[in-house]
Amino acid sequence: MRIHVNDKDYEGDFDPNMPILWVLRDVLGFTGTKYGCGKGLCGACTILVDDQPVRSCSVPVGFAEGKRIHTIEGLENTPYRSLQMAWIKEQVPQCGYCQSGQLMNAVGLLKTNPNPTENEILDAMQGNICRCGTYPRIIKALKTVIENKEA
Amino acid sequence: MKQKSMVSRREFIRNTSIAGGGLIIGLHLLESCVGEVIVNPKFKDPLPLSENVFHQDGATSITDFLQIRSDGSIFVALTKYEMGQGVSTGLSAIIAEELEADWSKINIRYAEPIKDVANITGGSTSILSHWDLMRKAGAFAKSLLMATAAKEWSVYVDQCLAQKSVVQLLGTKKTLGYGQLAEKVVVPENYRELFDKVPLKYRSKFNLIGNRLKSKIIPDIVLGKHPYSIDLKIPGLKYAAIARCPVFMGSLKNYDDSAAINIRGVEKVVPIKGVVIDEATHVRDGIAVIANSTWAAFKGKEALVAEWDLGEKKNINPERFEKECYQLLEKEEGRQILVDEVVHEVTDYDDTISHTYEFPYQHHACMEPLNATAQYHVDSCEIWVGTQSSDKVIGNVEKHFGIPKENVKVHCHPSGGGFGLRYSSAYALEALMVSEAAGGDLVKMCYSREDDIKFDYLNPFELNKHTIQIKEGRIIGWNLKNVMDNWGGLSAWLYYDVPNRSANEIKVKGFTQMGAWRSVMANAEGFSTECFIDEVALALNRDPLEFRLSMLPANKMLTVNHRFKCNLGRLRGALLLAARKANWGVELSSGSGKGIAAYPYMHGNGYGAAVTDVSIKDGTISVDKVTLAIDCGLVVNPDLVIQQMEGGIIWAISAIFYGGTDYKDGSVQRSNFHDNKVLRINEIPEIEVHICENDEPKPWGVGEIAGPVTYASVCNAIYAATGKRIRKLPIDKELKLRENG
Ligand code: FES
Ligand code: FES
Repeated sequence: MRIHVNDKDYEGDFDPNMPILWVLRDVLGFTGTKYGCGKGLCGACTILVDDQPVRSCSVPVGFAEGKRIHTIEGLENTPYRSLQMAWIKEQVPQCGYCQSGQLMNAVGLLKTNPNPTENEILDAMQGNICRCGTYPRIIKALKTVIENKEA
Repeated sequence: MKQKSMVSRREFIRNTSIAGGGLIIGLHLLESCVGEVIVNPKFKDPLPLSENVFHQDGATSITDFLQIRSDGSIFVALTKYEMGQGVSTGLSAIIAEELEADWSKINIRYAEPIKDVANITGGSTSILSHWDLMRKAGAFAKSLLMATAAKEWSVYVDQCLAQKSVVQLLGTKKTLGYGQLAEKVVVPENYRELFDKVPLKYRSKFNLIGNRLKSKIIPDIVLGKHPYSIDLKIPGLKYAAIARCPVFMGSLKNYDDSAAINIRGVEKVVPIKGVVIDEATHVRDGIAVIANSTWAAFKGKEALVAEWDLGEKKNINPERFEKECYQLLEKEEGRQILVDEVVHEVTDYDDTISHTYEFPYQHHACMEPLNATAQYHVDSCEIWVGTQSSDKVIGNVEKHFGIPKENVKVHCHPSGGGFGLRYSSAYALEALMVSEAAGGDLVKMCYSREDDIKFDYLNPFELNKHTIQIKEGRIIGWNLKNVMDNWGGLSAWLYYDVPNRSANEIKVKGFTQMGAWRSVMANAEGFSTECFIDEVALALNRDPLEFRLSMLPANKMLTVNHRFKCNLGRLRGALLLAARKANWGVELSSGSGKGIAAYPYMHGNGYGAAVTDVSIKDGTISVDKVTLAIDCGLVVNPDLVIQQMEGGIIWAISAIFYGGTDYKDGSVQRSNFHDNKVLRINEIPEIEVHICENDEPKPWGVGEIAGPVTYASVCNAIYAATGKRIRKLPIDKELKLRENG
């Protein structure tokens, strides 16, 4: 089977039932994508599949065949690195464990809705748990990205 | 290897061992915070330049605690555990301040534990305990660099000025960078004496400390490359998951692994015999599945069929247990804890008020599930783990396997949250037991989220009964009586300035294992004390703020729990600041309420106060705003303080509405984030944090201040809005109100 991660192809004898998360982490070594719950409840494992945010713990790798996967490791090379910059500027992360998922989910949000209102932000981000409580700063950082883009 | 008496100067300070040259300062960090000297044989591989590194080879952090490289980059070995509380940034700032370093040149090195130092991170004491040492290390390195520059220019040292990693010859344009100088440092004979006597900066001269410095770890985090232990990748690695006995202290009778072994990727299935190392360190009986991916190991675990002897604990019924705890409060005297120096029995009083408050079991649910990687050899072993106490990890291994301490190699990783859970670190031993059972395989053992919740070391269930006697409107006696599930002990910080303060504690043994949970005893005690004093104020027709202030004189150090001196002035200051910022006393519309609370966190000598605004919307409680004031002494980085307060408030509101646990037949019934809920982004209040101005000479603790004042101020606000008194957590946002009519 061949999968396409961050604009590169990876060929392998993947178990098609294995969730994308574990193929990324344990087989291909993309450990930036995190395991938090394995049940689609926390968002730590969020990646983009054909530009849609997806909980990689709950989707078998077979589903991603022929589709484009994007993970945190590739974010730097996209225009959405502005999110990473804003995360640094607002000093969002504490332990950081949820943040790959937060960032990828935010990319997914901005791809479908480049100018979300505060309520739309809250709605889109409520699937991503942060146990350290960085939520106020996530909101702030997202707002700065949105405002700067408009300017 | 470590022979203090035969130490040569070159091992303490050297400037040849890093690729390209540079200056290395090694410190033997003793508890007394005195620089000592250590021999360490050699550095292996040169380190990569100018970015945070995770050190996987032989050099310990003692030998190269502080490196200044010839390209000017500076590496600080992390002597405390980073779990999201920002300690790496805080500690580096202190060194950089005295070193007069360019902040942008500072990098972090995750290091191995430091021998003979208590490698423990907890009680909000990291910055506090390393304050003097970090300063000295920085100042000492600076003095060597300045002396070298002076020699180069053939001038006196006091003609030189160090600033932002550059030494300038005063009155000239001549400069030398730290990188250039580092190579040329000649270590003086009397370096020990110089180290001990090195002058430190005055507080007024600080230019990094007190500023909003950017975190040193966030750049790695946003790239997805912060080195959590769960992300470890090393050749030969296998993955393990364990099916554990569902009831604490139960045992494995039998198992059938025929289905598990047939799962694609599963390699071995081995039984694990549990062990009790101490009160807070247990490994349960279990069956470990070893596979070529975490997923295969999880699948294999699910396919196991096990027969357990569930043991005694399965008979503990939650309702009966709670009832018995309430009965014990009445029946038993309990162990007396010293609070006041003198306590007289109070017999002559007008009135007495007494209420009991219940604080439930709580789950940690750190975002990074428990995990550790280990490899067992017969007389040595290697462990990769995120732990608040590497000393405990090493000690546990020595106790269980008899491997001598010096042969236990631990690599300390930062973690995705700790909150007290990674204190006892039995999971490190557990991973090593799996490796041993599997014949020495290198295994990464990972808890599934379900395991992480079911086998959590819970915050203990606690009842706190406060009783006061009143005469002529004043409190003349205060007793706190506590029943606590088997862990820790009552703090008994009774901090209001009233006579005859006393406390008693009764220990009970509940259904499972207990552990530290952010703010530890201050959770239940802060919640109960501050809700109780609110009730007393209202019973006496006093304003809750004014009543508190009347018992917090500005210039008093009050002895609490006979060993801590509580600075009532600082607590008073925090209370006044929170009240002023939150417009305490302003009339509110009906259906809204303000609640206030104050609490000292004596382990870290920090003081907090909060005012919370709640309103009732469609019959549901809405926490609208928390205004918190903190006095944590000298502030190293205000942004980190604010971050910790935001996190602590959100943590506490999670516990108020979603905390507790559910158990049946001795086994936790919650399993994942659908039934062990935590606060989400759309549920948070507005948060405002204010830091008290003060002239304290030292930074005090921060991390655990927010919880206690949040519970109490929220519950007091709910009373103000609804007339409903909360004496038991967690609460249901709607149900409790309906119940009340
Ligand atoms: S790990 Fe996928 S949603 Fe939690
Ligand atoms: S930053 Fe720690 S869980 Fe979000």
